[in-house]
Amino acid sequence: MSNQKLQALLESARVIVCVGSGGVGKTTVASALAYQAAKMGRRVLVLTIDPSRRLRSTMGLGERDLAQVQEPNIKGELWASIIDPKKTFDEFVLRAAQHSKGAEKLLQNPLYIQLSTSLSGSQEFTALERLYSAHESQKYDLIVLDTPPTKHAIDFLEAPQKLSALFSDSVAKWFREPEGQSLLVRVMKSGTRQVLKALELLTGSEFMGELSDFFRNIQGWQKKLEARIADVHGLLVSSTTHFVLVSSLDKAKVMEAQYFAREIKKGGYQLSALIINRIQPYWMAESIERSANQQEIKSSLEQRLIDYYSEREKKVLQVESNIPLIVKVPELRENISDMNGVVEMALRLFEKSSEKPELS
Amino acid sequence: MSNARTEEPKKTAKIDLHFVTGKGGVGKSTVAAALALSLAKAGKKCLLVELGNQSFYKDYFELDEVGYFPKSLKPGLDIALWSGPECLKEYARHLLKIESLYKLFFENPVTRSLVNIAPALPELAILGKITSGPPRNVGPAMPYDCLVIDAYATGHFLALLRAPLGMSKAVRFGPMSEQSRSIHEIICSAAQSHYYVVSLPEELPVTEALELSKSLESQVGFRPIQILNHVLEGTTDSDPSQTLQPPSLFNEAMRVQTENVRNSQERLKEYKLICLPFVLENQALSVVESLATEFSTELADV
Ligand SMILES: Nc1ncnc2c1ncn2[C@@H]1O[C@H](COP(=O)(O)OP(=O)(O)OP(=O)(O)O)[C@@H](O)[C@H]1O
Ligand SMILES: Nc1ncnc2c1ncn2[C@@H]1O[C@H](COP(=O)(O)OP(=O)(O)OP(=O)(O)O)[C@@H](O)[C@H]1O
Ligand SMILES: [Mg+2]
Ligand SMILES: [Mg+2]
Repeated sequence: MSNQKLQALLESARVIVCVGSGGVGKTTVASALAYQAAKMGRRVLVLTIDPSRRLRSTMGLGERDLAQVQEPNIKGELWASIIDPKKTFDEFVLRAAQHSKGAEKLLQNPLYIQLSTSLSGSQEFTALERLYSAHESQKYDLIVLDTPPTKHAIDFLEAPQKLSALFSDSVAKWFREPEGQSLLVRVMKSGTRQVLKALELLTGSEFMGELSDFFRNIQGWQKKLEARIADVHGLLVSSTTHFVLVSSLDKAKVMEAQYFAREIKKGGYQLSALIINRIQPYWMAESIERSANQQEIKSSLEQRLIDYYSEREKKVLQVESNIPLIVKVPELRENISDMNGVVEMALRLFEKSSEKPELS
Repeated sequence: MSNARTEEPKKTAKIDLHFVTGKGGVGKSTVAAALALSLAKAGKKCLLVELGNQSFYKDYFELDEVGYFPKSLKPGLDIALWSGPECLKEYARHLLKIESLYKLFFENPVTRSLVNIAPALPELAILGKITSGPPRNVGPAMPYDCLVIDAYATGHFLALLRAPLGMSKAVRFGPMSEQSRSIHEIICSAAQSHYYVVSLPEELPVTEALELSKSLESQVGFRPIQILNHVLEGTTDSDPSQTLQPPSLFNEAMRVQTENVRNSQERLKEYKLICLPFVLENQALSVVESLATEFSTELADV
């Protein structure tokens, strides 16, 4: 039943965003969803972030950042791409500033360099930027977006707003108008100047110089950035965009998923599925079956592990409630960090899912 | 920076800093808590620090609240949650002295959003707070012998450590630059800062731990300690070439696991290595307690 719901999601969605904390399986799940949709005949793009080397090469992404994945079962098309945050951000800046002198100066600004590589928010922004340009290109029926590891799933959605706050006019104005030149500065409460003084005391005049330089340079494209963030937001809340949350079998993590589900709803987004990955080790189903048939006596370690995972699952299942679709995926036997692994993951998600598959 | 040195000279010359990092989900938070508890049990006054604005330990240990100001978790062990903006606020309050100016500064909506995101400021403030005890002595007193930091995962952690050097290069003069340099000095001091890279006994996680350790070493100038977590009992002393009976998936998994533990130990052998067992307990505090005991014996050996 659950795999049919997930299948239906793949048929109707235009955008799927896979979120979750670090290492839970976002990249693998995103690729598997994309693969399955391509198998169903759709033209799909999966935007991955930092995939393992093996996955990268087995998808055909050597040095290129866009490649068509070749796999015999794909009826539609599967395109894979890697998001390079620095490059995407630079491209965006250059485009927004129409390759002006200011933009080039900005790319050299030490603060900008920090911003575009390490700043909280810029990675998330670039991921969304890539998503939006791919969507605009109208080349794909479905785009699946993998997301950068965040401490908490909600961080991903908050990042662009934070970034947008930095670029908001009110912040930038402070640094742009040389004092006394505009009416605005004159009417500005004397407090503002004091605040700037305080900031200077904290950071030093050189830093303030760079900062005001930075804001002067972004003047031209800040409106565009804000417009872009608004467009992206529109896409994210659209009825054909679905969020899929990937989680490990961990009570604290699943509680976080509940929290995320509430927050995401408040924001107007749709959280359509929770995928609990590695719900149990690959050998466990066989062990349980064996013991049901009373064929073998289990070792004490085996029994303790079974008890441990069963109790863990029970604890976690007590928490789940407000998410429409929950899919459990066991740990897989083979090392799955390549395209074969993605195919295997898709099989688990859609064909051998823990609920009994319907016979067709 | 003369105006920052207002604290009494401390008896201890330094506060030991223990940073725990690694890939997502490998057990950083659990290991950090266990390390902190073992240090507390050894008689050190210890603060367990998590970074960010949402507490993991709150749900994990079923606590009422974890916030900026330390709360007691166990005898000799406190816990706190530090976010960039809050660290920056404290630093500003310390430096600006005048309360009204401080209020003006932080209650201004524009500064608030700026502080949240201004390039590298939150990162710097966090490291500034972590290294604020002796010998730097910037800001309020820190009555601890050691801090254990449940730090960010891989890339984010490297970016955090890079912030002070990056800032001091981008801005050469002024208080920010001076602070950055003194922070950088401390995180590069092998006598004061200790790094732990957590990994699991599997091929890819160990590869990533090794890559992270290389970058870490090139940033701070010395090697981290490796923590191989989740080592299943019996896998360190049995012979992987021997097939277990009956030929079940479980026994196959145990054989693979044994092999993985071996290979991982072999690949990490150039480092100081601590193996922590997979504790078959679903109660967080019991897991942490038993790992702490393990740590105590391991650290006594080291
Ligand atoms: N069900 C599973 N069984 C076995 N291995 C798995 C399973 N799911 C994921 N993995 C493996 O776990 C590792 C982490 O998965 P993945 O890279 O998809 O996680 P991620 O959430 O994208 O991580 P990051 O946050 O670091 O980007 C990969 O090596 C992947 O092959
Ligand atoms: N040695 C161990 N024995 C048993 N369980 C463990 C062990 N180490 C960690 N765990 C469990 O594994 C899960 C993940 O651990 P933890 O949350 O500490 O990882 P993390 O690296 O901090 O994750 P994140 O990257 O999401 O912050 C937790 O449920 C924890 O209780
Ligand atoms: Mg990933
Ligand atoms: Mg953690």
